[in-house]
Amino acid sequence: MKETAHTLLYAGVLGVVCATLLTAAGRFTAPYREANARADEVRHVLRVLRVPVEPEAPAHELLDLFEERIRIEEHPDLTLYLYEENDQLQAVAVPFDGRGVWGPIKGFLALEPDMRTIRGVTFHEQQETPGLGGEIVSAAFREQFEGQQVVDAEGRPGIRIVPESDPEALNEMDAITGATMTSDRVEDMLNATIERIVEERQDYVR
Amino acid sequence: MSDSSMNACGLCQGEGLSTLKDGLWHNNPISIQILGICSALAVTTRVINSLVMGAALMFVIVMANLSVSVLRGITPRRIRMIAEVAIIATFVILVDQFLRAFWWEMSLALGPYVGLIITNCIVMGRAEAFALQNPPVLSMVDGLANGLGYGAILVIIGIIRELFGAGTLLGVTVLSPEWYTPNQLMILAPGAFVALGFVIAVFNAINQFRGEDNGS
Repeated sequence: MKETAHTLLYAGVLGVVCATLLTAAGRFTAPYREANARADEVRHVLRVLRVPVEPEAPAHELLDLFEERIRIEEHPDLTLYLYEENDQLQAVAVPFDGRGVWGPIKGFLALEPDMRTIRGVTFHEQQETPGLGGEIVSAAFREQFEGQQVVDAEGRPGIRIVPESDPEALNEMDAITGATMTSDRVEDMLNATIERIVEERQDYVR
Repeated sequence: MSDSSMNACGLCQGEGLSTLKDGLWHNNPISIQILGICSALAVTTRVINSLVMGAALMFVIVMANLSVSVLRGITPRRIRMIAEVAIIATFVILVDQFLRAFWWEMSLALGPYVGLIITNCIVMGRAEAFALQNPPVLSMVDGLANGLGYGAILVIIGIIRELFGAGTLLGVTVLSPEWYTPNQLMILAPGAFVALGFVIAVFNAINQFRGEDNGS
């Protein structure tokens, strides 16, 4: 009986001490960790907009560059990241997100000033299966979007991610073999975003 | 690990110096006990990663050994292993959070392997085999020695892999790309196995030459 009480007391005290230490450390590092995660997101925005960035630039430089170069335009259903150089619009990035197979997928779709030609896509958060769905972050997958259109030949909005893309169709991309679910979901979330862009910017597209 | 851990316990009464030598050489956690292989293979693509991983493990093992040793008189036997895991996990999470806050790029490069120190057999092994029977300071020396022994092997593997896989050392170009084509194999997992195999073979050969066969 006495031994059991000792065991319980020991476990309780050890648990409280460990939990207190971890909570304190978590609280203390939280602002730094959040800044890093934010810088990571900013790095993706700058990359997809092709803003010239030093490859090893530290977090604060990225945040400064972002503040300096990117103008954020809030619309009811849409946030636009505008990249301007000498008052000339260079490109526009639109955040998108959705449910992947294992967790949320978040990324940015960058468009040329015509708002229909894709400048690039990037994914800054994903937990897809490594080697399969996780390949959405690979250059090979992302680069196929570059120079493609967010509308089909008839001007209908939407892209397609299909097993075998038609090289003639400017809105078709190859899916990832073995990752049909991820490919479909990425297609859906991109199209949902494209729909919203079209609604907001009727005058740009069409 | 039965043979070598018995050997380690025979030295439990030993002085700091023999404890130090033990962890570094005679009972090196990687080259003799073949523990902690997973992270040794995973993070050693660059020397800097090896150094940080070695330092992280050293911190965890020293602090865990100290805590387990201090608490060894009052820890109930029945829950001692779960208590050890809780202590180890606490220090590992501290290191992980620290890296995420102040060295984000390194934390991305090491991926899940910092968190996985919790499951590293070396840390738990030293707590069980050494810290439970020895006073705090000697336990810290043991932790330091094992951390150094682990880190040293990681750095050696890191040097081999970064040199032949990328032609650089700590990011500085050593083998000029003009006449050296980096060997991709060394960056990939099989290259780590090859490098580790060579390191262990060399360690064994030296031990045999000196006439101390550690039975591995």
